[in-house]
This record gives sequence, structure tokens and C-alpha cells, in this order.
Amino acid sequence: MAEDSTKPDFAMVMASAVHDMKNSLSMLLHSLELISDELPDEMKTSGKVATLQYEAERVNNDLIQLLGVYRLENDKLSVHIDEHYVRDFLEEQAARYEVLFNSRSITLNIECEDDLIGYFDRDMTAGIINNTLTNAARYTHDKITLKAYQEGHNTVFEIADNGAGYPASMCSAPGRIFKGIDFETGSTSLGLYFAYQVARLHKQGDKVGSIALENGGALGGGIFRITLP
Amino acid sequence: MNIKELAALPKTYKKLKFLVVDDFESFRMSVKQMLRAFGAEHIDVCSNGKDAVQKCTFERYDIVLCDHNMGEGQTGQQVLEELRFNKRLKHTSLFILVTAETSKEIVIGTKECQPDGYIAKPITKAVLQKRMDSLILQREALLPINRELDLENYPKAITLCTQEIKKGSRYHNWCHKTLAHLYYKAGDLQHAQKIYEDILNKREIAWARLGLGKVQMGQQKYPDAIDQFKKVITDNQDYVEAYDLLSEAYEKVGKRKEAQVILQQAASISPLAIPRQQHLGELATANQDMEGAISAFKAAVKHSNHSVHDSADNYLNLGRSLCDSSELGDPEKSKEHAEEAINILDKAARKYASDDVTASASLIEARVHKGQDNEAASQAAFTIAESLIDESTVNAETGVEFAKTLYRLGKTDRAEKVLHSLAQRFEDDPSIINSIEELLDEPVSLRQKMKARELNKKGISLFEEGALAKAIDTFKEALKETPKHPALNLNLVQVALKSLEGKAPGNSEIAFLNQTLDNVKHIPSQHRQYKRFVSLSKKVAALSDRVNSHTS
Repeated sequence: MAEDSTKPDFAMVMASAVHDMKNSLSMLLHSLELISDELPDEMKTSGKVATLQYEAERVNNDLIQLLGVYRLENDKLSVHIDEHYVRDFLEEQAARYEVLFNSRSITLNIECEDDLIGYFDRDMTAGIINNTLTNAARYTHDKITLKAYQEGHNTVFEIADNGAGYPASMCSAPGRIFKGIDFETGSTSLGLYFAYQVARLHKQGDKVGSIALENGGALGGGIFRITLP
Repeated sequence: MNIKELAALPKTYKKLKFLVVDDFESFRMSVKQMLRAFGAEHIDVCSNGKDAVQKCTFERYDIVLCDHNMGEGQTGQQVLEELRFNKRLKHTSLFILVTAETSKEIVIGTKECQPDGYIAKPITKAVLQKRMDSLILQREALLPINRELDLENYPKAITLCTQEIKKGSRYHNWCHKTLAHLYYKAGDLQHAQKIYEDILNKREIAWARLGLGKVQMGQQKYPDAIDQFKKVITDNQDYVEAYDLLSEAYEKVGKRKEAQVILQQAASISPLAIPRQQHLGELATANQDMEGAISAFKAAVKHSNHSVHDSADNYLNLGRSLCDSSELGDPEKSKEHAEEAINILDKAARKYASDDVTASASLIEARVHKGQDNEAASQAAFTIAESLIDESTVNAETGVEFAKTLYRLGKTDRAEKVLHSLAQRFEDDPSIINSIEELLDEPVSLRQKMKARELNKKGISLFEEGALAKAIDTFKEALKETPKHPALNLNLVQVALKSLEGKAPGNSEIAFLNQTLDNVKHIPSQHRQYKRFVSLSKKVAALSDRVNSHTS
């Protein structure tokens, strides 16, 4: 392994920049938490703090996806499939958005059996769920359901809301979106592309993970589903 | 987790001892605040790995939250590695790595040391609480089992695991994994095998497949084990432990080249693990792949800074392989390697400043200079070493190094004297005796060894083709490089005998055969060529009797 010391490795530069930004984000989010505790009630509900938090979360998700997609392109992304308690995992993801959801009067329900065990890459799957949750926070009317269940050998995660739902074009032809990133539609495509790739990296025997989008369900809005073997 | 469990948690936090390690004060403070809010009271903090290790030496922490990247000094992974290495972490303790790093190298590297948890930055209070809650609940539930593991009371731990599984615990998977591992440790391979197979019947799980392979290694079913490890690697290309085990299995069946290739792959996936680089260096050396050895020992030196695996041996081994390699190849490269060797050996002597290290470094330097035809420098280095070595008390490793250098400087008699005295002092240590024998067999430079080996191979294939005279010449040429080499001498005797079949040999032929056998008479009876030596000696004696009876 020859190392060319004169040429900086872009991945290294990016990784260390991301590392630095995440340290900052950590402090930023924590300070926000502390400040919001001290704020008078009318400020708490004004949504300004929540907006700050929402945007910080979005930056964090973008960073994860940016690095993820870069690694994907360079074949450096690998999954670490481990056993996890799904409910604990979902509660942890939901906890990130407590302040945000409260301030926007969004109720989040978790539907998952207590002892459900799933096999997946924790960080990557968390990235996908976080991204979908921030997305749902933007489009929902006031309800989001985070659901997980076992279906045969698969673990299925669903994030549903009572918003207007996904555009029909996205539901009917998700494959087309994954073929390339359409920058006009913004981060949604990048998030979906990343989710699709991460799902596909989850394999068990000859089965691979998949994602799907649809509208309707109990809440009547958009449903994002990721199925992992 | 249920409501009852949750309600009891603040009390649990209260009785636990926490250590928070991070180089940023603001981060330490904010985590400390969060833990306090959860109910924790005993929280220590420190800002670097060295302090963390020291704190863990004097105090038993239940939970260590450690940042990975702490600027200069140890990383979180190295802290964990050192704590595990020195057995400063109990089974009942949790080590949780906090990191903003997502680079593959680091993620895999940290997973190798198996922290009990892994929390990604940014951390918010709500996230930390959820994560800590579930880790602490798990810790509480498994505490009785882990206590027995700490006491090394394995039968009790096995009983408790079995009970926990029967109870239908939510941690039954952890229990199955631990149980299989315990059976394996206790030597009950059958039970371990059954657990792994049961799990694999339900789902392909890497650790279970790996465990099954380990069981098969224990049963000496190496080809089966090789298949298991290969399958793990096909499904999980980054599972480095599987590479390590596959390499080990290849070594067991004598495929050292394959073992090296696999270990090289593991090292390129996870280059930060020092023991792997060290072993890779040794394997490459045994395979006479000096470039491979140099690059592995270089990595060991580079990454061992601040590590518990930091040792003078990394430097000395790098010096040795550079020295060997400076005696091969083109002159320019040879000079480059020689300079690098001197440089690294000087560094070792300065860094470790002990007589043993200085002596070994000087001995290797003396050989390097000799190879560059710099007699004065070689002699100077040798004199330094000589002044530091007391032949009657020298340790085995330095003693063998000493003999090797003596041979290289042409002081054959003294070299043999040193080796014989070492052999007496360490007669009960087979590995030392082995390295002494090896040196007695081939007290020559690597270049000569490689040339001799090449010629030996050629001689064997000439013999197989039936070109006996050519084979004899080739073996004779090889013996110019390694005159005492047992297998080579015996090959020559064997071929010579074959060429004499059906002929009436003269006295000169008999004398030649006896002389060749004489070259091997230094080998002791446990030597792997000894039986062959005895049988060939008998044949030569019989032939000699026949010749003598004819002439008398």
C-alpha cells in the first residue's frame, strides 16, 4: 500500500471535516436544549427554538448522507449487521425530535412490540429513519406513526403521516428516481437514493432489502417503508 | 422497556460510577450535566486516554463513556484496547465509545475491540438517555451472569445463562452467544457446536458461523473450518476476525503463503490492529517475503505510538527485515534499505534506552554495515553490543542475535560456542532450541539461503526428470551457499546413491558420500531430518562394506 503523501485524500478531508462539524452540532444541539429549558413558555411554543433544532438535524442528516453517498460511489460503504431491540432503537430516534414535535404540536406514535429483534446496520438505518422523520415533520398535518414489525424473516419499518402524501410520480416509479439524483427536487431524492442503496446492502441469503413509498394507510398521508431481510 | 423498569432507573443511575473521557471541556461538562439529570451522582471526568487508563486502574467504573478522537495521544479505541489487555475492565462494566467518526477504518477498528455500546455524535440529552437506559437495563438483567464471568466461575455462568434463556428473557440471544462461548472455553466443543448450528438453522448469523468454524478448529477439522470462515468473509467482507481465523487455519494445514495473503487483506481492512501487523510481519519473514515483512512491521511501528502494543520488538523486527532485504536486490535499493535500517535501529535504541535493546539494535546494525562493506562501522557497532552482553547470562533472543552477527562477521567458532552454551541453558525451551538449530543449520545470510533454496528446488526437479548428474552438480552448487544444511546434504547423498545403482563405486565416491553425511552430523536426534540421516547413513555404510569386501 503505497501512500502518496503529497495528494490529500478527499475522503479523509471530508471525513475529518464532517467529524468537526458533528462535534459542533453536538454542542449546538445541547446548548439549544439548555436554552429552551430556561425560556419562558410563550417562547418555547413559538417554534423558533424548534426551527433551530430542525435545521440542525437536517444539516446532520445531510452530512451523514453526503458521506454515505460518497463512500457508496467509491465502494467504501459497508454494512455492519447486528442484532438490535427495535423498540429501543425507534424510541432513541424519536427522542431526537421530542422538542421539535412538541413545539409543532405533532404527536408521534411508536407501534412496535417490546421484544422485537431486528438485524440491521444501526447507524445507517438510523440515518434513514431520521431523514424520513425530518421530512415527515415538514409535510405532516399533526400526526406521525413510527412502526416496525416482523414479516416472515423481514423486519419492516414504516413511517406514516397525515399530510398530503407523496406525489404520485414518486410512488409509481421509485426506480426512476434512484437512477440519478434530480437536484431540482432537492434533498428528498438524495435521501431516497441513500435509503435505497442502504436497503440493498442488507442481504440475507438471496434476499435483499427494499424501500417503497405509498399514500393512505391509517393516517391517510404518505408512508415510507423499508423492508430488511 | 416497561414502566416499572423505567421507574427504577434513577435509583440505578445513582449507584453507578461513571467516567466521562473527552478532550473538549464543554463536551465533558454537558455529558456530566445530562448524566446528573438522569440521576447519576458519581461522575468522574478526564480529558485524555492516559488519564482515563490511570483512573480505571485505581477505581472500578461501572460505565465509561469515552470519546474516540481526542487529538494528540491515545484514541478511544486504544484506551479500550489497553484496558482490555491489562484486564482493567470487568464483564460487569460497560465501555461506551462516543464518536463522530464514520470512516470505515475507524468504525471497523473500534468494532474489533468490541465496546459494549457505541454512540454517534451529535448527542442530545434525550438520545443519550434512551441509549443509556437500555444499556443499563441490559446490564442489570445480565449482572448475575457477568459477575460469575468476572469470577471465572464458568459452570455457574453456564447455569445462569441457561436459566435466563428458559425464562424467555429478551436477552436470550446474548445468552446463547455467551453460553456457546463458555462451552467452547470449557472445552465442551459438542455443546458449543450444537448452539451454533441451532442458530444457523434459523438464520445466517456471522458470529455463529464464525463460532462453528472455531469449534471445528478445536476439533482439528481444518478444511471444514476453512469453509466456514470463507463463507463468513463472502457475506461480510469487513469481518476481520474471520480473516484472522482463516489465516490461522491455513497455517495449521501448512499453507503459509495463503495464510499471509489472507492476513494481508485483514490488515488492509483494519490497519490499526498492531498484533495483526506483528503476526503478518512474522509470517512474511517466514515466507521470505521481505517487502511484505517491511511493510507490516512499518505499520506496527507507525500505529503503535501511544498503544499498549508499543514495543522495541516492532522497531527491531523492522530493522531485521530491512537488514535482510538490504542484502538482496539491486544496489540502489540495498543502500536505501540499509540506511533505513540504521535509522530505525538508532531510534529504537534511543526510545527504549535499555541495554538489551541497544545490544540487539547494534548487532543488527553490525550486519547491515557488513552488508554495505563498511567494515569499520560494522566493527564499531559490534563492539558496542559486545560491551553490553554477558555471554553467561544473556537472554535467549539477544544471544541468538549475537550468534547470527558472529556468523555474519565470519567468527564461526565463537558463534557456535555461543549457541552451544545457549542450548545448554535453555534446553527445556523447545522454541529457543528450534531457533538455535535453525541457525546452526544455516548460519548464512538471507541472500545465500534464498539462492540455496532456489538451487535445491532446481536439483529436486532435475532428479525427478532423471537428470542425475545435473542434479548432483546443482546440489553441490547450493551447498557452497549453505554447507551445513541437512535436507540439502541428504538430497545430495540420496541422488548420488541413486546414480551409483548397478555400478561398482570406487573409494573416492564412498569418501564423497561420507564427507557429505559428515556435514549433517551436528543435528540432534529430535531434528526433523534425523531419521532420514540415519537411514541414508546405513545405506552408505552398507555400500562401503561391499566396496571394501571387493577390494580386500
